[in-house]
Amino acid sequence: MIRKIIILTLCLLAAGRLVSAEQKKFVELISYKKSLDVSKVGPHDEVWKAVTPYKQPLQRQSLVFPKPADVSVKEVLIQSVNDGKHIAFRLSWKDATLDDGIKIMNFSDSAAIQFPVKKDPLPKDFMGEPKKPVHILHWRAWRSRDKKDGFQTVKTAYPNMTNDMYVFDYTVKGTGTEKTQAEKDIFIPGKAAGNPLSFDHKEIIEELSAEGAGTLTSKKGIENTTGEAVWKNGEWIVVFRRPLIVSDNESVQFKTGEKMPIAFAVWDGSKNESAGRKAVSPAWAEIEVK
Amino acid sequence: MQMRKVYNWQLGRNAAYIYPQSRPKKQWAIIFDLNKCISCQTCSLACKTTWTSGKGQEYMFWNNVETKPYGGYPIGWDIGILAKLGFQEWEGDKYIGKTLFEAAEKDEKILQHLSEDEDWAHPNLGEDEVAATVNKGDWITMPHRIWMFYLPRTCAHCTYPACLSACPRKAIYKREEDGIVLVDQSRCRGYRECVRSCPYKKTMFNVETRISEKCIGCYPKIEKGEMTQCVTNCIGKIRLNGFVSTPDKSQKDNPMDYLIHERKIALPLYPQFGTEPNCYYIPPIHVPLPYLEQMFGPGSGKAIEAYKNAKDDLTLKGLLVLFGSMERMLSSFKVDKDIARGYDEKGSEVVKVPITEPMYIRDFYDKKLKTYRHNTP
Repeated sequence: MIRKIIILTLCLLAAGRLVSAEQKKFVELISYKKSLDVSKVGPHDEVWKAVTPYKQPLQRQSLVFPKPADVSVKEVLIQSVNDGKHIAFRLSWKDATLDDGIKIMNFSDSAAIQFPVKKDPLPKDFMGEPKKPVHILHWRAWRSRDKKDGFQTVKTAYPNMTNDMYVFDYTVKGTGTEKTQAEKDIFIPGKAAGNPLSFDHKEIIEELSAEGAGTLTSKKGIENTTGEAVWKNGEWIVVFRRPLIVSDNESVQFKTGEKMPIAFAVWDGSKNESAGRKAVSPAWAEIEVK
Repeated sequence: MQMRKVYNWQLGRNAAYIYPQSRPKKQWAIIFDLNKCISCQTCSLACKTTWTSGKGQEYMFWNNVETKPYGGYPIGWDIGILAKLGFQEWEGDKYIGKTLFEAAEKDEKILQHLSEDEDWAHPNLGEDEVAATVNKGDWITMPHRIWMFYLPRTCAHCTYPACLSACPRKAIYKREEDGIVLVDQSRCRGYRECVRSCPYKKTMFNVETRISEKCIGCYPKIEKGEMTQCVTNCIGKIRLNGFVSTPDKSQKDNPMDYLIHERKIALPLYPQFGTEPNCYYIPPIHVPLPYLEQMFGPGSGKAIEAYKNAKDDLTLKGLLVLFGSMERMLSSFKVDKDIARGYDEKGSEVVKVPITEPMYIRDFYDKKLKTYRHNTP
């Protein structure tokens, strides 16, 4: 009996070592150096044809409740190039339905790239951890549609909706009828509270930080990542572009010749995926900036 | 999911919840006398003009009145979740079935019914529809062969809110001072976990702001000791708003405790969901009991009996006339022979109402004006 326990313990220890050894060995992606202006690279530019994509497997988020029973996007193709000043990531994945319009029960197609703010000690790959923040670049199809057709409103969501009159939208002019937009916005709670989701933004990619699940916070006023997104023939192609070095200390900083941990998430709007109901990469990968 | 055990007095047992038990110092509650509601929607408009007149809130009714059994805002909110929960049972006053937390699917926090866009688009579909076909040649019999009733609804500011427990980023909180449940408008990220999870469908998504909103229990009025807009504007005088205690701390002279705990005449809406809702209803006396028991639990029969006897029940009758008689919230009440009185927190008299309105019968013929009086107003 004792012998059995000793053997079992040894086996467990060995298994444990194997696991930890495996965890340290990251999948390696490469950001290839190219001589072109990466800050302007688009989703269909020639340069991507010369870059072999890495097939990043995705799995259902299974650490925090509610967990999706399944996710529809199981794989995302990743490519990256840089020019020594800017870095670009091209993500593409199959998605049969375009979900970029806002409605009560419409969820947006989305994708996010996550980096640690500091590599050492490395935060957990799932949303970081207390005092070890991660920096997240989050693209939502909603925002691409906003950029294309103008900021979506209740009128674009429900063109046949009826309403008699909004507060302060007087049809007759006279004393007390002149109200500023800020005064009118008091009746639009998200705007009155300054929620970043309620306002139009310059870029389609939102920058956020997190120190664990449920702590995601928009980096207000920071929009260093530009992007372009195209949905065609059941496929999304999204390009994220940003400078290697930015002035914000809490943002990811890339250095030529160095490796940076990286993780991915994808949401399929038509499957009501949102928040923790998402497809995620199983662990940190590493990207080497050539 | 590892659930906590919390005591739910409406079910007479411990029940599952996401967070440990933490009751507020006071619990906001509202009572509706369904025998008196005429679905005039004055409450809905009082709420709307006060709180939801902005862009993105056009079809948003924090307070609504729907016709039962077929009406619903959003359509089918109750039928949808009841069908999912399936057949469940009470054993006397104890609920032995599963709550929505206990019936959660694997990897979920709570059993959910998702309302579609179309369900929110017709706030009053089915108004005044009755439960059966009116046959040719039908005449009125008592009790009515065909029934329906109006169900006014607000957020129940549940003791164990489903919305709060569902939010992945703790953007929803329950106020310690009054138990009011609020969505932090600066913290919400529009995930709609609360919209999916609230079985009463009283958290709503605003497409203009891209985040969720809900009834705020008129907290600015509550803080001033006044009842909510939907209560004070009710022309049918069917509502009362105040603070409810737990049954072990029930105060006989607190109007809410008296109706909810002492007399058990005001019953919670779908207590079997397990959120301990704080919207209480005096059930309509003409509706089939099985329907009422499904909606308000096993106490429905006794509640109706007591209500029917109200004419010979001085205290109850006195309290019922206080409904709709004041703007201020009552902490206590007292009924003398002919007068019902209500008091605020400091014990000062807020309201004094005769239990039976004095009646004057005038002669049909007015001798002074030499004319006949009509009894039409």
